Amino acid sequence: MKRFLETGNFAITEGAILAGCRFFCGYPITPATELAEAMSLRLPQVGGVYLQAEDECAAMHLCIGASLGGMKSMTATSGPGFILYADPYGWALGCETPMVVLNSGRVGPVSGITGAPGQGEFYLTRYPTQGGNFETVVLAPNSAQESMKVVVDAFYLSERLRMPITVLADQLITDGMEDISVPETEEEMKEMGFRVWPRSYHRGPDFYPATDALDIPPVQMGHNTGALCSDWTPTEEGYDIEEVEAHHKHAYRLIYKVRNNRHLFSDMHEKRHMGDDPDLVVVSFGTPSRVVNTAVDRARAEGLKVGALRLINLWPFPDELFRRRTTYLVVELNWDGQLVREVQRAAAEGSKVHFLGVCGDLPTIPDLMETFTKLLKNQPLSRKGWELEAW
Amino acid sequence: MAYASSVLVDKYLRTRKIPSTACSGCGLGMNHKIIVQAIAELGLETQDIIWGTSIGCAGRQTFGTWKGDGFAGTHGRVYAIARGLRVTLPPEKKLILTVGDGDAFGIGLLHLIHCARSNASMTVVVNDNLGYQSTGGQFGFTTPQGAKTDSSPYGMFEHNLMSEGMDVLDILKAAGATFLARHVAMEGQAVVETMKKAISNPGFSLVHMPYPCPTNFAARHLGSRVQVNIYNWIKDHAAPMGQEKPDTIWRTGIYHDARGARPEFSEHVWEAVNRIRRTGRL
Repeated sequence: MKRFLETGNFAITEGAILAGCRFFCGYPITPATELAEAMSLRLPQVGGVYLQAEDECAAMHLCIGASLGGMKSMTATSGPGFILYADPYGWALGCETPMVVLNSGRVGPVSGITGAPGQGEFYLTRYPTQGGNFETVVLAPNSAQESMKVVVDAFYLSERLRMPITVLADQLITDGMEDISVPETEEEMKEMGFRVWPRSYHRGPDFYPATDALDIPPVQMGHNTGALCSDWTPTEEGYDIEEVEAHHKHAYRLIYKVRNNRHLFSDMHEKRHMGDDPDLVVVSFGTPSRVVNTAVDRARAEGLKVGALRLINLWPFPDELFRRRTTYLVVELNWDGQLVREVQRAAAEGSKVHFLGVCGDLPTIPDLMETFTKLLKNQPLSRKGWELEAW
Repeated sequence: MAYASSVLVDKYLRTRKIPSTACSGCGLGMNHKIIVQAIAELGLETQDIIWGTSIGCAGRQTFGTWKGDGFAGTHGRVYAIARGLRVTLPPEKKLILTVGDGDAFGIGLLHLIHCARSNASMTVVVNDNLGYQSTGGQFGFTTPQGAKTDSSPYGMFEHNLMSEGMDVLDILKAAGATFLARHVAMEGQAVVETMKKAISNPGFSLVHMPYPCPTNFAARHLGSRVQVNIYNWIKDHAAPMGQEKPDTIWRTGIYHDARGARPEFSEHVWEAVNRIRRTGRL
């Protein structure tokens, strides 16, 4: 084990390399630039390729190409680049091409504020492309160390589920410096819970079987298997077809290979002070969860029955974590409220769901403490006006 | 030597997709046959070639026709996929892309330029049916000036990449392409010879091949779906370089041949990676 004082970008790079990633293609964008830079330094040292594309749309397409040729590949960007992934993301979902996509959230809409953290792509990562008829898997770490593990997990899931996996980070995770341990042996990787799955290739002739089965190797070019993949609805052999029956089979696979295999990632969340059925559950993901955890610890010290639920697996949304009727407070780095909508949908009947938004900055502990106290005393959240309105 | 179509189909193509579902009288099959003829004459086998396609008439009608491996990209993106794939393939494997004019010279031009810039080994055959015909017949970026289409009912007047004094191949030459040519299929064996050079280039090759669309382009511009009219119209407006007439639209032949002049993209990248891995520096 080696220890470093380094950024999340460093941790992500090392995680990707440990997971077997040997192809990275990106396009400079704050705050994901340093990840591309780290990859350009490290990948050639381990026999991998770093390329800089003409734009983000091309970057993810190059990753598709590399993955089609058998290399584990990755790209990374921020919101304004993630939107350009819409086109290749759909292709990779439809053709079931494994790869890892990292989005380091900043403040939007559009270019917004480049150097501040935001969480405006909670829904966009669920629906990164058009057309529907698919499920996506999105994972959100909250520290540099965890981002390493989450990226390793993302590669693992992308191989087993045969699809692109999105890691949703934010500017503080990718750019912030923290204490990071990098495993050096397979034993150390196992101790740290790192899961690795090797790449293999599909020999056909049914390249898109209409089942929810795991571990079907991806379609690969170059082995003369007669492999076919395209943007059109495929037959099981990969021919393009305009028939709803074929589409139904394909959609079933894209949706249910994820829904029926949630056990692979459904434990990816963190519960804090949740053992005694708290009166208030604070829900968050990513960087704000670290402030929330501190605030909840303090609230407990003051005798308030508050718990914290942090999501790492964001999509498919873990409805089962919200079965208990209680009061939920959702803390996110946006003013419009995105995660809160899902919590409201999933929360047990009779629950109360509230929203605390901040953007470009983190919530403060005094703000959180005051909000906890008011909610537990059933007082109105009127202090800051519209951003604290009940949902 | 010339091969009978049936011999080529048997050896290289999938009978599920050939004959294709193209419109009656479509000229795409002539271009397609020329490519396969060139492959046969080069002695290549199905495992030697990976075939990529775009969308639109040219992409969809050729997708899945090759007996070996094949893929299709969305609008304009197949070049970027192919460039990523190129990195993973050994140099002896060939990449052939059959695409349309809208895909290559419209939506995909940026990615195409970067394939040329990096001299990524692939042969892009742009099958130009003079516009967007699978969407019903709108003008494209190489539609001849004055042509009447569904979206240029008064005649094509906006300048495009084939306007007077302009040529899309100039852009690709400046971008670093190492083999560029233009032909119409009616030129017969000369096109096959050019195609063989394109395919054997260890770098980026592009062959621009205008072809007749009786269903949409001819119906609108010539007022006739009679196939021979559009075939003759294209033939009459094409001439070998140096033999141009006043009404020549397409100057045909090998436009630029710099095969071997620059390192190939993937080999260049791997050479650098291997050197860095070994010595820690470039």
